[in-house]
Parts: sequence; structure tokens; C-alpha cells
Amino acid sequence: MITAERKPLDEIIAMISPYKKVLVAGCGSCVAECVAGGEKEVGLLASALRMDARMTTRELETREITLERQCVYEFIDQLTGLIDQYDAVLSLACGAGVQAVAEVFPNIPILPALNTSFLGQTKEAGLWLENCRGCGDCRLHLFADICPVTRCAKQIFNGPCGGSQEGQCEVNPDTPCAWDLIITRLEERGQLDLLEEVYAPADWSKKQGAGPRKIIREDQQN
Amino acid sequence: MKTESQLKKVLAAGHFAVTAECGPPKGADPEAIVKKGRILKGFVDSVNVTDNQTGVVRLSSLAACVLLRQEGLDPVFQMVVRDRNRIALQSDILGASALGIRNILCLSGDHQSFGNQAQALGVFDLDSIQLIQTARRMRDEAQIIGGEVLTSPPELFVGAAANPFADPFFYRVIRLAKKVKAGAEFIQTQCIYNMDRFKDWMTQVRDRGLHEKVHILGGITPLKSARMAEYMKKQVAGMDIPEALISRMKSVSPKEQRKEGLKISIETIRALKEMEGIHGIHIMAIEWEEAVPQIVEEAGLLPRSINV
Amino acid sequence: MNKEKIELTVAVFFCQQLDPDQDGNRRVIEKELGPRIKFFPLPCSGRIEPLHFLRAFESGADLVFLITCPEKACRYQQGNVRAGKRIAYAQKLIEEIGLDPERLKLIMASPPLPKRIDLLTRDLLAEAPIKGHSLLGRL
Repeated sequence: MITAERKPLDEIIAMISPYKKVLVAGCGSCVAECVAGGEKEVGLLASALRMDARMTTRELETREITLERQCVYEFIDQLTGLIDQYDAVLSLACGAGVQAVAEVFPNIPILPALNTSFLGQTKEAGLWLENCRGCGDCRLHLFADICPVTRCAKQIFNGPCGGSQEGQCEVNPDTPCAWDLIITRLEERGQLDLLEEVYAPADWSKKQGAGPRKIIREDQQN
Repeated sequence: MKTESQLKKVLAAGHFAVTAECGPPKGADPEAIVKKGRILKGFVDSVNVTDNQTGVVRLSSLAACVLLRQEGLDPVFQMVVRDRNRIALQSDILGASALGIRNILCLSGDHQSFGNQAQALGVFDLDSIQLIQTARRMRDEAQIIGGEVLTSPPELFVGAAANPFADPFFYRVIRLAKKVKAGAEFIQTQCIYNMDRFKDWMTQVRDRGLHEKVHILGGITPLKSARMAEYMKKQVAGMDIPEALISRMKSVSPKEQRKEGLKISIETIRALKEMEGIHGIHIMAIEWEEAVPQIVEEAGLLPRSINV
Repeated sequence: MNKEKIELTVAVFFCQQLDPDQDGNRRVIEKELGPRIKFFPLPCSGRIEPLHFLRAFESGADLVFLITCPEKACRYQQGNVRAGKRIAYAQKLIEEIGLDPERLKLIMASPPLPKRIDLLTRDLLAEAPIKGHSLLGRL
């Protein structure tokens, strides 16, 4: 999923300060999974903001709503009719959702309540780990299903580097060396011969090449 | 006048080579590097220049190499892949060759988070092994990545680093084999303190016949003090310093520790000279370049200007 | 000497496992304090959410208590541990908007169980470190 974290409260308070009527909008997908922007988090944030407004004698009226997704037109459309009653929307979606909503309703400020972080997994309750960088050229099968682009701090394809110590990355002693993990698992799978290969330089144009990326499927278009 | 790599000549002639390292200053003054070069001249075959080591901004390796060349030394241009993409790296290889630099050492580089520019973007377009491959291709096939032909190929002796002491241990020799396969012609190892472990690694190296495919130079860093030894053991990744060595350093008074450290280095060099597959030493006496002439002399490695 | 007695509004979240007769025991103190006290029984303290605390403050509570079962005595193993983490999260949050985190208190009941919820509550009110209304309570 896409992970995100709520911005510090003082930053959010400053963001909404020009507005009196704010629609607090959550998203039930990725950000709900990482407990940052789902229905409960909307309730929590809205309550805190209302209390702050009362204590600082500022006018603030809020409404809470959570869409199933904020990145798909059909769901965003559910705000039609409702949104004009508000001066601004405080969105608890990821950056993709915030922008998608703004495209449907360009004349109302959509304020980002979260800082979007990474693509990752829920490893266990309360722990999310980055494991994909969207490089556009997935070769996980060659690296025992451990991504060297994401999990190696130097995105080495022919690893490890000389700083790998006791299975830990030199950058952070709490981070396992991705190459230590790859080699260990390749050995367990009997695939160490894959490492005899000298992997050629990556094609970063698949990630970065021509600005923001696009996918078009004509068979899916209306 | 045609320039040739002194290091390559010495190794090709079957002589025991000596290289040393010097770090450029954190400033624009060329004198700082020239001074170090003058200390080392005559005591080494080639001098490595570090490339923004530890992610700390210093006078560029390429510029420092040129300054050393002007002093009559044979520089080894260290290139890390952390700071520049393939366009810049290939361009610098051409530039280095044009400026008469004949040796390069291809490295990953310490992660930028260690240095004084921790907010910088780490580039890592290529990894060190891909850089080795790229350098060899430019030299031997006059091609850059992608196959476009160069108007004239660079002339370079291509090297890499090896760390026999990092993990996973069993894999370190496979990694060396990969570097050789990618085209490394000489290897400088991480500094050696744990002789047993190093011998173990060399045995595996010889078992794979790698010692016949690449010239290996053993790394030496003289210990200045017991505290330095302890610091390196705890704080520096990929370092293996046995407790016995630290005790040995502690057993002499602080005033005598430098001497003891030099003694240990000499003993290590003597052991390396006897090892099959070791073709030289690489002395990394960072901020103690003055120790190099003494080490080289006491290890019986003078004179250096061998007519090859 | 005129000592003005400040009458605080209190919310008490508590684990039902503490007092099987909580339904009856509550009424005594509810009668005495009227609208100034609200009890929220939970099947397990681990079921608490920071949102519950925020809503209690938003509704005007000056003090919010969470009473959990004693250490290692949670019927569902980790409930009271989880409750501790969630209250810590809520305390940090209310501090960010200028509410004194001391107004939100975690009390781990001491063994043995059961305890009477009304007696527990009286002790808490007597010992409460905060004596004044919260800003929200005053507004």
C-alpha cells in the first residue's frame, strides 16, 4: 500500500487557519490500512481541531466524511453537492488522492493533512516497511524476491558493498543488509549461481525518463 | 610524451608493488595535496587519491590527481558512484585519461548520510562493479554504455577494492570473482589486522585461481594509538581488529604506542611478502602520511624507482 | 475565608472485568455527582481508542480516567498493555493542542480483584492532581 503519516498538528492548524468551514475527508484504502487517514483518524483529527479552535476562540465548523478511495473519479464524485458548502477540504488521503480531488474540484483548496511516504507492506500490527520504489523494471525473481533498488541503501545490483557488517546495513544498524538477505535466501533456494552474473546498469528511464509517468489501456477506456 | 601507469609496469614485471593513499583538503588550496605528494614521492609506485571520502566535501579526486601528476607521481583516481551518474562518470574517465592519469579505482562510496552533506541525493546510477565493466569497455572496445563509439579510448589500469573482513564471509571471495569477471586488474584490500582471517580468505582466493587473474595488494593502516584501534573496531564498518592487538597496543605507554603501531604494520607487511598471490601493499596512513617513508624503508621495500 | 469549590466534570473509562457488579455500584456515585460524571464500561481496556478520549474532552470533561486490570491480569492477555500505549498516544495528541496531558490518566488497579468501581472512583477524585477546569470546560 501507499503509506503516509499525519502532519504535526501545529502545521495542520496553520493550514486550516484561514478557513471557517472545513470538510475533513478520509480515505478507506491505503491510508486506513496504515492508520493515518481512515475513518477513525478523521474523527480523531477533526475532534482535536475543533477543540483547538474553541480554545483559541477561532471559528471552525467541520464535517467528517470518509470515501472508499480518493484517487478514483467515481468515489470523488460523492463529494459533489456537499463540497460547495465548505471553504476548504482537509484531505487525509495520500498525495495522489489530494491531487485527484483537486482536479475534480479545482476551485476549492484541498489541504493535505498527511505526508505521503512510501510503497510498502504491513509487516505486523503497527509496523510498515518500504519494499518497492516503482522502478518500472521489476526483476525480483533474480534477487530471491528481495528488492535491491528499495532495500539496498546504494541500490546496488551486484552487491553487497564493503560496509555490510553482521548482516546490517552500514547506514542504519537496525536495517538488515538487503544483499545479506538476498544471498542467504538464494543459497536456501539453491540459486546462488544467479550471482555469477554481472548485472548491467539499470534503465532508470523507466522510472524517471520523461517526467511523471502514465499508463494507458485502450481496452479499458470508454 | 606518452604516460604509462607505473603501478601496471611494476606489477607486470613481477615486482612487489607499494601504493599509498592521500586525502585531499577540505579547501581549495593545492599546496595541501602537493605537500603530501612530496612526502610520498620515491617511496611508492602510485598514490591513491580519495573521492569525497565518508561523504565529506573535499577538493575533487580528479583535480588532486592532476596536482600529484604535476609533481611527478603516478596517481590512482578513486571514483565513487555515490555522487555522479553514468554520464559524469564516463566523462571523468575520459578527462582523467586526457590529463595523464593512468589508474582508476572503482568504489561504491560511503553512504552520504555519514558525511557533512547528509541531505544530498545519493546518485548510485551505477554500482562499483558496473563501473569496472564500463571503464574496461571504454578502454578495450572504445565504447560507452549503450555501444556508441568513442573517438579515442582512455588509457587506464582498472582496479577495485575488496574487503575480506565484511559479511557474509563465505561470499566475499565470490564477490572478488565477480569484480575480476567485470574486469578488475588490481585489487586493494581493506586494512589487515586479523591475519588468520586474511590467510583464510587468501586460501579461498587461490582455490578459485583468482590470484592469477588479478593483482592483489594487501591494505595496511598503521595504528597511532590503542584508542584509535578501539575506535576503528567499534565505529568503522567492515573492520576486524582482534582483541589481542588492542591489548598489545594498550600494553605500552601512550608515548610508545605509535612505535608499536608501526612495528605491527612492519610485521604484517613481512607476512604479506611471504604470501602467495599477494603482489604488493597499499598503505592507508590517513593524516599520517609522514609514516609511509619509514614503513616502506623498514619493511625493506626500497628503492622504489625500479626501472621496468 | 472563601474557598470556592471547583466542581469538575469527569469521564471514567474502565474495564468491566474489574467489577462484575459495576452496573449497580456505579449508580451510587452517579446519583451523587449527576451529569458531572460519566462512566464508560469496556469489555476489555484494550478496546479503547484515542478517539474516545478526544470525544470525552470535546464534550467538556475536565478529567478523563482509564482504569485497567492489574499488570499481567488481563483476561485477554495484552489488553491492558495495548491500552497503555493508546493512552500515551492520546496524551501526546492533546498536548499538541494545548490540553494538559495530566488530565488524561491511566490507572492500573492493584490486585486483588474484584474492586468496587465507585470506591475506585472516589479515590481517584480525591487524589486528582488537576484541580481546575480545562479551558474547554470553561468555555
